Amino acid sequence: MSDPTTTPDPRSHRLAFLDLAERLRQRGQLEAAVTVALEGLARHPALPDAHDLVARIRVDQGRDDDARAAWTAVLDLEPEHPGALKGLAYLAFRRHDFDEAERRLETARRTAPRDVTILAALDRVRAARPMQATSVRLDDPAQGLVLADADGLLVAGGLGPELPTGDAAAAMAAGLAREAQRTARFLALGEWRHVVVEGQGGRCVVTPVQGTATLLVRRSAGTPIGRLVADAQRGVEAAARWLEGAS
Amino acid sequence: MITSGWSELLAEVTAVPGVRGALVVSADDGLVVHEAAMDGLPTADVAAFAAAVIQRALRLADATALGAARHLHLAARDGGLFLAAGPGPLWLVAVTEPAVETGRLRLLLGDLASALG
Repeated sequence: MSDPTTTPDPRSHRLAFLDLAERLRQRGQLEAAVTVALEGLARHPALPDAHDLVARIRVDQGRDDDARAAWTAVLDLEPEHPGALKGLAYLAFRRHDFDEAERRLETARRTAPRDVTILAALDRVRAARPMQATSVRLDDPAQGLVLADADGLLVAGGLGPELPTGDAAAAMAAGLAREAQRTARFLALGEWRHVVVEGQGGRCVVTPVQGTATLLVRRSAGTPIGRLVADAQRGVEAAARWLEGAS
Repeated sequence: MITSGWSELLAEVTAVPGVRGALVVSADDGLVVHEAAMDGLPTADVAAFAAAVIQRALRLADATALGAARHLHLAARDGGLFLAAGPGPLWLVAVTEPAVETGRLRLLLGDLASALG
């Protein structure tokens, strides 16, 4: 029988290669670091932190494609791994894909809401994002635009990656639109223009389109309210054109 | 529930130019809990409709992964409703004219709603 005080703990062995590779990475010995990390990864292919470490070494080596593959492997194993989400956001940021960077960081923030590095990264992404108007496309489900008909059925659009499908959003947006119309009429507020809904995890605006349809625009929690409403106004114009083209 | 001080709190809201009235409503049953209304404002109706809008907005927030809705704004041609979540079912509601200072009122309601507890 083996002596429990001397038998190597597989977990400590696993952590040892992670620690060693990380120390080598920090010293700038990147070839040695990746060799140790890949050897460890071969023994523990289901260990998310091993893939994460390989990805960070690959970034230091300037091999972004390999880093992206490693972080994608992490998410396959652990879909809400904050390190991988931050890493993929960083890669997206480097290639000026601010939408993907913000989406990744928002997902990371939901998983680790008290991680100040994620909040700081979100601030950097938003500060770097160009303020010019982006195109509004209802046929792209990733744009956070949902067009619903009068019955609350999804006509076009979607909430974006890693969010619920647009069907429930369309139904609920149409329901809120009906209630807003009723409220505005009974309280003599005149024709309703929009309803803004703010939560801790995001913001959206619901607005009427051509009297019977409803447009929902969903954005991240850090999106300025004025920009959200401006996006909705541009979305209404695009939706009206889309409906005219579809009829 | 500590309601002392609510009148002062609502008075801060109605002091904002363009606010016609302010009230605390229960979103569960659509009833007025406390009010500081201007002349002619049907506060019972406001509470009932505000609660209906809140319930719909909460469902939308759930369907769109917004988390718990904390602020709502219904904007209309001749005015609007601003709503901020307080503790439990309580919401602070302001009825406004079209020319209200939207940004200022939104921030004020958020601060004051948290003081309803």
